[in-house]
Amino acid sequence: MNIIVPIKQVTDLVEELEVDASGKDLNREWLKYKINEFDDHALEEALCLKEESGANVMAIALDSADIEKSLYTAAAKGADKLIKVTGDFGEAIPSHVAAKALANVLESLEYDLILTGVQAADDRDGQVAVLLAHYLGLPHVSVVTGVNLQDGKAIVHKEYSGGLMGEFEVDLPGVLGIQAARQTPRYAPVSRVRQAMRSTELEEMPAGDVSVAVGTTVQRMFKPETSDGAQMIEGSAEDVANQILNILSERGLKQ
Amino acid sequence: MPDVVPTREIFRNFSFLLQLIFYIFSIVGMAIFCYGFYKRFRKYCRGRPAYRFNNLGKRIMRAMSIMARNSTIFKQDVYAGLAHFLIFLGFVFLFIGTVIVFIDHDMLRFLGFHLLRGSFYLIFSLVLDVWGVLFLIGLLMMMIRRGFLRPPQLDYARVDRKEGEYQRSGYRVDDWIFFGLLFVIGITGFLIEGFRIAADRLAFEVWSPAGWLIANITDSFGLVSWANSLHAYTWWFHAIVVMVFIASIPFSKAMHIILDFVNLAFTDELAARRLPRIPEEAMKKGMGYQIIEDFTWKELLDFDSCTKCGRCHDACPACASGTPLSPRDLILDLRTYADSTIGLNEWVGQRLDGDSKWPAGKTEGVTVAGDVISPETLWACTTCMACIEACPVGIEHLTSIVQMRRRLVDEGKMDSMLQDSLMNVGDYGNSFGQPERMRGTWTQGLDFAVKDVRKEAAEYLWFVGDYASFDPRLQDISRTVARVLSKAGIDFGLLYDGEKNAGNDVRRVGEEGLFEMLVEDNIAVLQKAKFKEIFTTDPHSFNTIKNEYPEFGGGYSIYHYTGLLAKLIDEGKIKFSRKLHHRITYHDPCYLGRYNKEVDAPRRVLEALGVGLYEMPRCGTNTFCCGAGGGRIWMDDSDIEERPSEMRIKEALALGDIDYFVVACPKDFTMYSDAVKTSGNEGKIEVKDIIQLVEEAL
Repeated sequence: MNIIVPIKQVTDLVEELEVDASGKDLNREWLKYKINEFDDHALEEALCLKEESGANVMAIALDSADIEKSLYTAAAKGADKLIKVTGDFGEAIPSHVAAKALANVLESLEYDLILTGVQAADDRDGQVAVLLAHYLGLPHVSVVTGVNLQDGKAIVHKEYSGGLMGEFEVDLPGVLGIQAARQTPRYAPVSRVRQAMRSTELEEMPAGDVSVAVGTTVQRMFKPETSDGAQMIEGSAEDVANQILNILSERGLKQ
Repeated sequence: MPDVVPTREIFRNFSFLLQLIFYIFSIVGMAIFCYGFYKRFRKYCRGRPAYRFNNLGKRIMRAMSIMARNSTIFKQDVYAGLAHFLIFLGFVFLFIGTVIVFIDHDMLRFLGFHLLRGSFYLIFSLVLDVWGVLFLIGLLMMMIRRGFLRPPQLDYARVDRKEGEYQRSGYRVDDWIFFGLLFVIGITGFLIEGFRIAADRLAFEVWSPAGWLIANITDSFGLVSWANSLHAYTWWFHAIVVMVFIASIPFSKAMHIILDFVNLAFTDELAARRLPRIPEEAMKKGMGYQIIEDFTWKELLDFDSCTKCGRCHDACPACASGTPLSPRDLILDLRTYADSTIGLNEWVGQRLDGDSKWPAGKTEGVTVAGDVISPETLWACTTCMACIEACPVGIEHLTSIVQMRRRLVDEGKMDSMLQDSLMNVGDYGNSFGQPERMRGTWTQGLDFAVKDVRKEAAEYLWFVGDYASFDPRLQDISRTVARVLSKAGIDFGLLYDGEKNAGNDVRRVGEEGLFEMLVEDNIAVLQKAKFKEIFTTDPHSFNTIKNEYPEFGGGYSIYHYTGLLAKLIDEGKIKFSRKLHHRITYHDPCYLGRYNKEVDAPRRVLEALGVGLYEMPRCGTNTFCCGAGGGRIWMDDSDIEERPSEMRIKEALALGDIDYFVVACPKDFTMYSDAVKTSGNEGKIEVKDIIQLVEEAL
């Protein structure tokens, strides 16, 4: 069983975010990056499957700021192989490009299951898993919270709103967008990360042709705009009602 | 009878055959003794190496000095100290007496030389009689203590298991067998002497006053005609009991007679203050201890050295607050496990009956950190070092605890709050998860600028630490320190965002890799900074920079701020304009008072302030932990029955009318401020940092 876990970096919200001069992206000068939380859950689920029934776990990521640290951390936690996909992506990689680059690389690899985060905090796009499944021609389930492997198939749970759960049987190989692993992502002791840096090979693979239609572009990036705020009305019920009537008349909302 | 030379025959009225039987018997006893200790020695050899062979002469002298004075036993418990001292010295004298008899009878005799005669014999008799009596008095005192006084630390009840889930009556049997054997040996020794004197009635035997008294009693019962046969029976009974005792030593409580001297000699003076590094080779197998052979020989010796005196059990804040940790039980469980797997079991020990999961005798698939000692037990430790301080025999509980914690960290078995804190420390250099550049923002509330020692030189570098830098309640205190020093004209500066968590508690949590990273980063910044000496407001940082950084190439002269304040007051650089008249008590921080024995400096400052200092029963090196150390401040404490900090506030309130509970540690300030509220004592006592009083008196 070969499990591939595509991961990516997102901005660390510990630092205050600022919009850059173009008004279409973040000012990335002082930003710190960390692994996308959902990808961390996908990795955790893969490692749990590995511990449960034995598997080869490979973490793969597109080259971006601080990505080596997250890849080596994955190795420290138990990933067997690391791949960095190189190419000219820019800093905010659109989902279509990311999925195409991953698909290009995955074509030359053997795999039974691909687990990745259902979405990421930066673009809230949630499309990489879907597009990857599309490019590779594989089945796909999203918002998955639990994976069970049985007779060459994956039994997965999908979370719906309103507390409903659905159970799916997925033919393998397949792609799953992970919402949450069965347990909190594990801690990677620093000594193991350092050891991984020394002893785990980080294989680089070129992304190949990623010229795909992206579909959407960022028009404007801005902080939530607030209005003037609320006005508190106090007094007895009758007073309050009268004041509301006054306000409505003042603004021409009362006929 | 001036023509009778005082002496006595060793094998009085014994045939050659009887003498032969005696020697065979002795050899069997000695053989069992040697076999037992050989097995224990073999067990220690299976442990990892620990280098404790430097300054051997000094080590032996230190152990001799402790042993000769029984100083560690007298400390905190004069009754037990005195009783042990009498038994110990009595045993030593009787042992030396027996050795003299052996040398005289079995060696010198063949050289035609006879030592035990004349006045030497008389003095020998007197000394042995007196110490024999004192020996029995000491034993009686101990039996009264165990049988009637029953101090709580001698209760063997476990804190982590219910009654019926374990069997420790063996420990009590062991205690009483030990007393019983020694007591019977002492009594029968006197009876032999008495019956011999009654039979022979040689006048010089008054030099054996106890024996003479027994002879007189024998007389008064009209048993003189029986004296010879009574002598023979008691002689044999005494001999058999002695041989049984000797054979039992390596398998019973009596082993402490031999082992504890060795353990004291090999004790590390910096134990707990400076934790062991992990050798490169061992690191490859993962951090910390997994199997019993991962413990060093010294740690395996620690387990066997325990006499179950319960002082650590009594002193431990984790134990007092209802967590599953008792340092005594931790050590005893490791002994039981080590003996059942790579050693030889005690004759009577404990059993963990109700717990089929407890892996007695099993090694396959067993991890010491998790199976033998539960993770909850290991995480309960506040690393306050009270156990090591209380232990009379040099056991280093804390090192073993941290080594097992390292394993838990390596396997990721930890509280999620702790995991988040460690990730924060790793990502941002502080446990608060605040951006690094915010570390120095507390200085913005000052009306003067504080130097950045990375850019301009200053006499003192102030290592502020996480809590005093980021906790809003403590930032105010940090500003007070800055104002006081500035007024005194002290030239100091900060590392600002160059400073990272010093790593003291990270190391004690067991995250050694992260600790090393922090030390390397901090030392790299310190090397480039321009300063003469360091001072810190945080006792935890103080400990690691003082004791642990040197091993990583960072040797600095460092003060705790109370030490610096005391120095500045002495030098007249800080002058007070008025005396304070508050009634206060002072809480020694574990990492200052106990770890680094700095108990005078803060008291000198308090004295200069003029305040009335009322000491709590647990003060100085015997201070009681607030419960925050060793990373406990990063863990969930909701399952604790009563927080150590709340117990401590009660201890302070019991002193009567106290205005201020004075602290000298940022963590203490938050812990005790909270404890005053949660224990419902708001308005009765107020927590103050010592610097706040200093500013008040300026």
